Amino acid sequence: MSSNRKFAISITILFILWIITVFIALFSGTYNIGPLDAISNADELSKTIFLEIRIPRILMATIAGGTLAIAGAALQALFRNPLASPFTLGISGGASLGALLAIRSGLAVGILGFSMVSISAFVFSILTMLFVYSISKVGGVVATGRLLLAGVVANFLYAAVVMFIQFFSSFTESLQTMRWIMGSLDVVGFDTVWKTLIFVIPGCAILLSLTKEMNLFGLGDDVAASLGVNVRRMEKKIYFATSLAAGAVIAVTGPIGFVGLIIPHILRMLLGVDNRIILPSSFLLGAIFLTAADTLSRTVISPVEIPVGIITASIGGIFFLWLLIKTKKEIIV
Amino acid sequence: METIINCSDIGFSYNGTNVLNGISLSIQPGNMLGILGANGAGKSTLLKILCGVLKPKIGSAVFNDQELSKMDRREIAKGIAYIPQDPMFAFPFTVKEIVLMGRAPYIGRFEFERDIDKDIALNALETVGISHLKDRLISEVSSGERQLASIARGLVQEPEIMILDEPATYLDVKHRTEIMNILRELKDNKGISIIAATHDIFSSLFYFDDIMILKDGNTLAEGKSDQIIDSELLSSAYGIEVTVKKENGRVFVFPNQ
Repeated sequence: MSSNRKFAISITILFILWIITVFIALFSGTYNIGPLDAISNADELSKTIFLEIRIPRILMATIAGGTLAIAGAALQALFRNPLASPFTLGISGGASLGALLAIRSGLAVGILGFSMVSISAFVFSILTMLFVYSISKVGGVVATGRLLLAGVVANFLYAAVVMFIQFFSSFTESLQTMRWIMGSLDVVGFDTVWKTLIFVIPGCAILLSLTKEMNLFGLGDDVAASLGVNVRRMEKKIYFATSLAAGAVIAVTGPIGFVGLIIPHILRMLLGVDNRIILPSSFLLGAIFLTAADTLSRTVISPVEIPVGIITASIGGIFFLWLLIKTKKEIIV
Repeated sequence: METIINCSDIGFSYNGTNVLNGISLSIQPGNMLGILGANGAGKSTLLKILCGVLKPKIGSAVFNDQELSKMDRREIAKGIAYIPQDPMFAFPFTVKEIVLMGRAPYIGRFEFERDIDKDIALNALETVGISHLKDRLISEVSSGERQLASIARGLVQEPEIMILDEPATYLDVKHRTEIMNILRELKDNKGISIIAATHDIFSSLFYFDDIMILKDGNTLAEGKSDQIIDSELLSSAYGIEVTVKKENGRVFVFPNQ
């Protein structure tokens, strides 16, 4: 099948699946609201839950899942490595620490409409990415061992600082932080959604505009340059865009793992490795996956809510293992 | 005389170490130039300058009367194709997808390849003789076939000149000959000029119109290969005493030790 048909078909199917997922998610939860109740004869409580909690939360799941997955796909292209993701490279850890520091130091205020928490998360994620990239590059090529080691080290360092802050926190603060680190989509109202979108839309748009270059980049720096790519500028754009979008998401949701790593892989197994197809598809499948996982987290042992990070890691992990065993296709080249 | 690439007095250094000291060369349309020299003589660096991937620190490289360092990268890509020594394939694209990437300079940011691009790619696969591999993953084909896919990728750029860095070094004698024959056909049938770095002294007389020998970043010799290659020159170029024998347009080189 030609690339443009494959693109059209996969985007259409994923979009329909997303609509279905959102529909199911809207009408499941501890408080039972049927499709009809929401439109007509709704009582005040139903309306509030529906408009102030469920819709923002589903939007947030869509934005977060989509962003983490697209960021993972972009990072895998940038590092030319299938194990790269915001989580494995320590970027999530960095963003979490950045956000936590901003919250704890009372900087949870906005500057010109931008939340300081998001900005701090962005700064920490871009610094982490530069750190990991410079450490892992040997003679112009990213060395896989060094890359993952640098990511692990970054994660440990951030974890140490987070634990240090935890140690001096009150019990309530500490519990809050803990829940947030496990990953949660517990947002109320649209305010957070808009504030996240300010960062996510330009970030994802930049990444989507670079998909052709990402493909060429897979042929090596020199060949990419000889085919018209300004390699250094492309790299910088990817650093900036992934940090911007993923940082803003993680500042709200905490480091939700696994989405960024597995979603692009599942799609590559099904659709091939063309980034022009993989990146937009990743956004949609990431959105579907996280919305579904969040719906499960709200309903599995309702009224108790399990942190969504636990769901993504367990379901995602098992599903990914199953795919690995089943397809036997080479993933690491 | 009309030239495609003309460079004069090119100097280049990596981290303060001089790699090229004042190299000049020019190539006419439909010519095949071989660049010989020991490992580290500066061949790869020179080729990257000639295709605009590296900018010379001193001197200038001119492509069709335009200075390469001032040209738009995509415009360069429409005229010059670069095939590296050991092409990287970080992701398992299909052979056809790899070849289609050579159309990148002709395709807009959010566009997919058009039918004409696909036809050009299929033709290129035909030309290098790997049409049957078009749907195979690049990670699953042999290194010779990968090199052929790279050449096909360069071909769909519809270049006036192809620059190849040791295109056949890692290949067995059959694939090496196959690749050299393909390059000569491209030159003869499509009028594409070829510049290739090579360690294959044996076939340099046979395939290349001109050769240039580099040593420590300097031009040691240049000219018609059958006129300039001799024992003394090659001994100096490679730093080992060798004897050169020529027979029926072939060169035989024996180390004296």
